[in-house]
Parts: sequence; C-alpha cells; structure tokens
Amino acid sequence: MSVHSGADPRPQAQGPSRSFDRWRHRFSVLMVGATLFLIFAGGLVTSTGSGLAVPDWPLSYGMLMPPMVGGIFYEHGHRMVATGVGFLTLVFAFWTARRETRPGVRRLAWAALGIVIAQGVLGGITVRFFLPPAVSIAHACLAQTFFCVLIALSYGLSREWLGAPATNSDTTGVRGAALAATLVVWLQLLVGATMRHLHAGLAIPDFPLAFGQLVPSFTSTAIAVHFGHRVGAVLVLACLLRLLVAAQRSRDRSLARMGVLALGLALVQVALGAATILTAKAVVPTTFHVATGAAVLGTCWLTTLRAWRRLRPGPAMTRPVASVAGAASTA
Amino acid sequence: MSFKPFARLLLLGSVPLAAACGGGEAEKPAAAPATQAPAAAPAASAGSASIAGKVSFDGAVPAAEKVKLSADPKCAEMHKGGLERQTVHVKDGGLADVLVYVKSGANGSYPAPAEDVLLDQHGCDYTPHMVAMVAGQKLKIRNSDDTLHNIHPRPQINAEFNVGQPRKGMESEKSFDKAEMLIPVGCDVHPWMRAYITVLSNPFFAVTGEDGTFTIKGLPAGEYEVEAVHGKLGKDKAVAGKITVKDGEAAKLDLTLKG
Repeated sequence: MSVHSGADPRPQAQGPSRSFDRWRHRFSVLMVGATLFLIFAGGLVTSTGSGLAVPDWPLSYGMLMPPMVGGIFYEHGHRMVATGVGFLTLVFAFWTARRETRPGVRRLAWAALGIVIAQGVLGGITVRFFLPPAVSIAHACLAQTFFCVLIALSYGLSREWLGAPATNSDTTGVRGAALAATLVVWLQLLVGATMRHLHAGLAIPDFPLAFGQLVPSFTSTAIAVHFGHRVGAVLVLACLLRLLVAAQRSRDRSLARMGVLALGLALVQVALGAATILTAKAVVPTTFHVATGAAVLGTCWLTTLRAWRRLRPGPAMTRPVASVAGAASTA
Repeated sequence: MSFKPFARLLLLGSVPLAAACGGGEAEKPAAAPATQAPAAAPAASAGSASIAGKVSFDGAVPAAEKVKLSADPKCAEMHKGGLERQTVHVKDGGLADVLVYVKSGANGSYPAPAEDVLLDQHGCDYTPHMVAMVAGQKLKIRNSDDTLHNIHPRPQINAEFNVGQPRKGMESEKSFDKAEMLIPVGCDVHPWMRAYITVLSNPFFAVTGEDGTFTIKGLPAGEYEVEAVHGKLGKDKAVAGKITVKDGEAAKLDLTLKG
C-alpha cells in the first residue's frame, strides 16, 4: 500500500508550511510499514498461544534479551518490534515538532507517540493480568487506530496533500462511501478482536454455513460474536462495493484504483477467514487474517483521506443544505 | 482542507483504550464443581484403614502425538530420539496418573500437611502429570532443565499465576487456598507441557502408578464415596464407588474409566 502519490500533476503550494519534506515523509512510510509488520507479529502471538510465554513485563524473564525459544520467540519478538516502532514514533514526534509548521500535524504526531506508549502499557497489562479479554481487545483495536494515525500523518506529509486544494467535485459520493467503509471496517475489526480474544474463532466450526444453516441458534455468546463477525464481513463487502462503484464513476483514476485495492484485499480477507475456520485456526491463515484486516482498514482510511483531499463536496452533499436554505427563504 | 476533522475521528478510534480502562472484568467461565472445606468443622483425626485397588481403562488408547521440539534446541538435545506425548498411559489394562480421592464421607477439617508437594520440570516435561494436594499446602515448583520455563496454572476458583523460571535449579513456592479439581498447568514456552493440579479439602487421596494401582492410607473407619478422575479424560468421565472401611482394615476397590 502506498501512502503518497508522486505522479500528482497538480501544482505544489508554496510557503514553509507546505514544503515537501522528502525524508520525513519517507520515514513516515517506513513507520506505516513497520506498524503493519507489528500487527502481524502481534497476530502471531495470539495465533501461537504465546501471549503469556513471557510472564513478566517490561523485562522478559528479568532480562532484556531472553533466549528466543518456543513461545518466547513470538512474545518477546513482538515486544522487540513494538519497541522499534515506539522508537521510530518518538523520533518522528520530535522531528515533526521541530520541522513541521502545521499545528494539526504536530499535535497528531504527539498523539501518535501517546498512543504507542498507551499501547505498550496495555500490552504490559495483558501480560500482568493474564490476558483479560477487555484489555486484549483494546490492545488490538488501538493498534489499528495507531496504524490509521500513522497513515494520516504520512499522507499529510505527501506531495498530494501538500498540493493545491481540490477542484473537482465529488459527484458520485466517493467521500461518504470511503468514510462509511472505514468506519464499518473498524467496527468489523472490533468484533473480530472480540471474537479472537473470547476464543470464539471456532464457535461456528463450518463455513460458509453455520452449523449447516444460514443462521445458527444463538446458544452462546461465542456463537453470537462469531456470527456477528460473519455478518460484518458481508457489510464490509457491501460498503467496499459501493465505494468501488462510486470511485469508478468519479473518473478519478487514483481513487478508482484505491477502490479496487480495498475490495481485492477484502476478498482475500474473506478467503483467509474461511481458511482460518477450515484449518481449525492454523497459525498462518489466522495471522494473515489479522494483518490483512489491518491492510483493508488502512486502504479504506487512505482512500477516505485522498477522496476528501482530491474532491470537493459534491452536489449530493451540498443539495440538502441548499434545499434547507431554500425552504428557509420560502418560509 | 485541514487535519482537524481527521484527527478528531482518530481520537474517536482510541475509545477502546478508555473502554479497557473502565471495563469490568471479563466474564469468567463457570467454576468447576469442587468440594469446599467446611469452615468450622471439628478437626478430624487420622485413622488406620486403607483402600487399595486398580483403575482400569476401557476404550481405545489415543495415539501418541509427536512433539515438535525444534522450537527449543535444548529440549531437542534432551530428547535426541524425539519426544512423544502420550496423554493416556495404559499398562496391563491399568491407567496411570488417575487421581483417586475421597469425594464424600470424610467429615471434619483437615489442616494442610506441612510437607511440600513437588512439581518438577524435567526433560521439558512435567513430573508428575497429576499433582494432588490439600488446600493451603505448599506447592514447590522446580526447574530441573537447562532451559527456561514459565509455570502457568489456569484455575477457575483459585488465583491464577504465571511465574518464570529462566535458570536451572530455580524453585518457586505457591499454594492454592480453595479446593478445586483438575487445574490445568502449562508452559507457554513449550506448549506441549501439560499437568493437572487438584486441590482437595481432605488428605485421603492417591494417584495411580504406571499399572493403575493405588492405595489411600490413614482413613478413619466409615463409609466413603471414592472417585477416580483423569486429567485428559476430564471430570465428565470420572467414576465413583462407595465403600465402607473399618479401623485397621485394607479394603479393596477397583474402578474402570471409559475412554
């Protein structure tokens, strides 16, 4: 997934606050990539059941570097990658504070640092309190939010964002469709994390049917959560289909490509979800299911940012305001 | 276009953090049925009767699972020919690692014995696989391996703990305050390691040996219900029998667990 568009033909805005900082942008892209890998590594911890292989925190068996054997490889490996991402975020926050003139970007960079620290503490709490589901779910969802924050920062530093404001109107509703898709995907990830940390991944053991039916009997919370995740997948696909149609009709080729990418990733994600069930939660499909979920969210979020930057509010969005104004004038 | 609306949306996405901080504890699974020690019962005295017998196994013995030791070279070194995990040990029809205990009939309160119960980690495996102890008794956990282990019991009634033992020879002492059946103990570093701890309210129990035989000693005269339970087969497959013993008498009780 790319978070910048180097081929944007629009003229660049002038002024110190709008100058393109190539290295800081590259650094932010590196952070996005590292965070996606971190989410994958975190998924591995849960998939391999290694969440408590290191019983202490912040040290590991009282050491900075324990032997990387068995479940420790996954749990301590996740901590190492997380430390790396935390360090990158720290560097980025100070770098941005020093170089960035836009207060919003500076604040968001500090927020990213705050989130990554909070995320580390949540990780510690999960270890100290033996993986309480509420904390583990929050840890999973905050990771996805942090990923989105980094994407926003990276896009905010891109040539495309720094370029001239949009001139084309959003006549097909891409902006709304992208934002709706992002929110639905985020909620779907919340349900997925709940399912995962309630160990409900195999509560419905068959696919595509559920206990041989379209709708199973909800005899347990686990079945309800699991089925909710499946229903969520259908909603996500519907949202992404709507986004794809709107993006294709917008005649903005970049957004059209983003729509194709989002739907393509979501289809891969559904296949991985099916593989997770059919292989009884084998480590590889289960972990890739987590990481691909993040990629779908990131793609939708980036599409939202790009649509809001590249397109002005369209007639569909302005019409209600106009009609209200018209109604007021006639009243 | 400013960054503000997106920043607000992202802050909204951080709500799970607040939810986790304010969230209540997750619903715990239903606690396993366990015999609670009566709080104010009179102290009971030991007797001279005993119950001996054999626990047999009726059913197909599950095939041994080959353990992937490559994750820890030190474990692999200890088992050069490989390690097979057999959760149901049967010899001459007798089932090993079965807890046979007095389920009812032992009235009174029984103080925790002064001696420790040992759970050893040796050869990247537990010894024994079935630990039985009285509530309040000390459990000594030892690491006899030249690799690290974490000891992580997952009780439903007692307090959960997760202790690391990174060095050979390390020992930790723990105890469980309440009676609880079949607490699974595992090492998250070496996921194949599995043992069960049962905490009882009386000291009248035994664990079957390799041939399935057992002896419960020191019983006062009386009528007892004796139950046999195996960790892997679980509580649902437990079997019980009633028996009356007299002082100085060695009563016989054979039980059969079905697979």
